[in-house]
Amino acid sequence: MSTLIMIDQPPYGAWTGREALDMAFSLAAFDQPASLLFTGAGVNWLRQAQEAGGIGQKSVEKNLSAAPIFGIEAIMADRSACSTYGLDENSLIEGVTLVDADAALLTNYDHTAFAG
Amino acid sequence: MTAIKTLHILNKSPDNPRAAKCLEMVSEEDGLLLIGGGVLFLATGNLPGAAKVFALSPDVDARGLGKLKWSSASAVDFAEMVQLSLQAQRVVSW
Repeated sequence: MSTLIMIDQPPYGAWTGREALDMAFSLAAFDQPASLLFTGAGVNWLRQAQEAGGIGQKSVEKNLSAAPIFGIEAIMADRSACSTYGLDENSLIEGVTLVDADAALLTNYDHTAFAG
Repeated sequence: MTAIKTLHILNKSPDNPRAAKCLEMVSEEDGLLLIGGGVLFLATGNLPGAAKVFALSPDVDARGLGKLKWSSASAVDFAEMVQLSLQAQRVVSW
């Protein structure tokens, strides 16, 4: 049973995005194939050089870069959302695949859920 | 700094419908202070041209936008943010 978790909420505003990451990691830990798709303002999780100390938070970059080791199959970002927020290959963190977040993509997964 | 009539404080990210409503209401002599998710407008770039726009730098750095050229907004820290809200005659928190 393959799961796609979609994150459309911006980073550091609320906890939903982080909870979704934890959910994906737990699925992967139990050998359930899980992938992440960032869309809308959610793509802002994937920008390089996030320094969240000033707002008393840890940057999510480390958790995301560890995702493959945890067994997350893919980290995807919606192409049009990335262009809206000025994200391209040299500002995105490594290991992100650009995709079109459309119905066709979702057919690859048995279960798709949103964060929050 | 010329007194700001109304300071609009926006912490909603660009895809939140309330953000668009805020930008509609910002007039020339108003100030617009971007905090939280509101700083993502520096990435999308569609900010009101005329109004005085400020962005809270800890929020900007957290989202990795620190390196952006600051043409569209001026950086403020927490203390300056407080100053801005004290100077303004009115504050609208979106």
